[in-house]
Amino acid sequence: MSDKVIETKDGMKIRKLAELRTDTAKEYEEAMLSRVEEFKKKNDRESQFNDVVQNTIVKAFGTLLDIKLQVDKVIGEENLKKVHKVIDDILLTGL
Amino acid sequence: MYHLDDKEYVNEPYYRKTQSVCPECLQPIGAEVYEEDGQIYMRKTCEDHGDFKDLISSSAKYYKWTHYAIKDKNGKVVWQFDKDGETNPADIIGDDPRGCPYNCGLCEQHISTCSLALIDLTNRCNFNCNFCYANVLQSGYLVEPTLEEIDKVMKHFRNKPIPAVAIMFTGGEPTVRKDFPEICKMAKDNGFKEVIVATNGYGFQKKKGGLEFTKKCKEMGLDTLYFQFDGINNATYEKTRGIKNLMPYKQRVIDNLRKARLDSTVLVATIAKGVTDIEVGNIIQYAIDNIDVIRGITFQPVSLCGRIAVEERKELRITNADILKEIEIQTGGKIGMNNSWYPLSTIVEFGRVIAYLADVEPIEFTCHPDCGFASYMVIDPDSGEMMPIMEYFEPLKVIDFANRFWAKIKNKEKEPLKLFEGLLGDFGKSLDNGLNYLDKTQLKARFLLGVLQYMKKPGKLMELFSRLLMRGDWESISSFSYGALLLSSMHFQDAYNMDLERAKRCIVHFGVAMPDGTVKEVSFCTMNTIHRATIEKQIAKQITAKVRDEFDTTTGQEVIEVTPEVARNGGIKKEGDT
Repeated sequence: MSDKVIETKDGMKIRKLAELRTDTAKEYEEAMLSRVEEFKKKNDRESQFNDVVQNTIVKAFGTLLDIKLQVDKVIGEENLKKVHKVIDDILLTGL
Repeated sequence: MYHLDDKEYVNEPYYRKTQSVCPECLQPIGAEVYEEDGQIYMRKTCEDHGDFKDLISSSAKYYKWTHYAIKDKNGKVVWQFDKDGETNPADIIGDDPRGCPYNCGLCEQHISTCSLALIDLTNRCNFNCNFCYANVLQSGYLVEPTLEEIDKVMKHFRNKPIPAVAIMFTGGEPTVRKDFPEICKMAKDNGFKEVIVATNGYGFQKKKGGLEFTKKCKEMGLDTLYFQFDGINNATYEKTRGIKNLMPYKQRVIDNLRKARLDSTVLVATIAKGVTDIEVGNIIQYAIDNIDVIRGITFQPVSLCGRIAVEERKELRITNADILKEIEIQTGGKIGMNNSWYPLSTIVEFGRVIAYLADVEPIEFTCHPDCGFASYMVIDPDSGEMMPIMEYFEPLKVIDFANRFWAKIKNKEKEPLKLFEGLLGDFGKSLDNGLNYLDKTQLKARFLLGVLQYMKKPGKLMELFSRLLMRGDWESISSFSYGALLLSSMHFQDAYNMDLERAKRCIVHFGVAMPDGTVKEVSFCTMNTIHRATIEKQIAKQITAKVRDEFDTTTGQEVIEVTPEVARNGGIKKEGDT
């Protein structure tokens, strides 16, 4: 529990949330990953988390995202807008 | 269109006409929604009962930003909301000439499907909140459907062309029913993906048997608690629920959920001005501190039932915009009003693309923008700080891309490729299936890449998000939501602010088994404002002394459990009391 608490005259406890920094970041990720584990176990082969192809695609996606974030930094905001427009047009063409 | 375009039209004054009801006689009357002093109001006049004016939003700027504006041929701005939903066939042919909402059940005027089905399991409750619309002590009769009736209602929702995906049990307090775990199983057996209970925590908090009950409910299929939680102060509950020392009761629920690993709870806070609005920050922090079991918070501006004087209404009325302001203030500006929130209806097309590509049942949030807003809070992998998920994406760009993508592919849903079936029979059909599969695979790749370009953060959460985009199944939705905290608000209507444009688009529907063997499906706000009393009179059972005297509503405990010492102590239970 956060210790940044103000107690008013009538005994009401009001937390002062100056910022949302939390020491529970690890718990978030653990909750998410334990849910993944639960599905893996419960649904066995049916689970997408046990699907080799799916897991490979997700890994590739992660790598692609990392590269993309590096490129974003290099090319600058204005150029990025132009790139987005071109990619949008390509992806929406022929649908 | 909407907040996706430039924001020029936010400077245009807001005005539209709609239909409403008279708060006195509940007859239909016209209404105007308009802007005044930076706020949005509704005004209406009943020939018999006079003029009524009520606040719709305390921020005209925010309100307009969430609405559609188009220009007519004379260049004049017309405010209208035209995001109609997919519809199921009407259940009834309405014969009341007054139309919506008097024909509700559902009639052909409804333009959304049901995303969340509700069943009132009982109107018995261990609390006696004075603003509750469904309470055995206040109504004087018992409403409690049998298991057969409940099953019939579930089948009604599941057998529609677009079935409801989630079900919520409401009341009264649903967990006072001894057969509650069996009802959860029944819901799963009927195919509901998400089984939810709206509860004050009664069954889960019991010192004797609470943990076992929690485990049993999980085992039988209960997924999520929609848990009444007004704040962290006993004084707050005393004002809202009339019960002293309630916080230990609430904490016991969380403790038992943790032990039973029933780890999906949404805190539901009824927000009343000057009573619970000061607890908004407390509730967010409490959720963060208990993130292993809490998945979200829903803020509900209090709905003003019954007849309320103008001045009192001004005192009590709180709108979605007020809550956003409070959240911004009480989080030191970290969850900003102008950059963290979107109306639920924003993601309609996005959801449709995913559902189509993944071949899953769509969840349609085609409700009116006034109904509610939402945002996910997530952990920034770089700083470890909580932040709105909008910082992970460029949200308007993602939504805009999804909208354009859907506009291009929506016909494929209705007309899949059929090139060879006519020529080659069954073999041709298999070829067509193969082509359609390949087509969907390339569409998935395009969509994934389209969204990817607008992502701004790496990490596990984004990996799960990519699974959600590709598969759209319950595993990916659920796992993703476990890494985030969903903040939302749902502003239910009352007779003072009833807007039938909203009612027609309602996505939260009650199902009631009627004595004639039919199931009546009624949208949430019209049920509570207009239909509840009439419907309940038809299904009411006689109240017995046993039911009436079941609970001590000053303590929230069963009468037989309340010791004389507790009774003498004004209802305050000391730790260790049974």
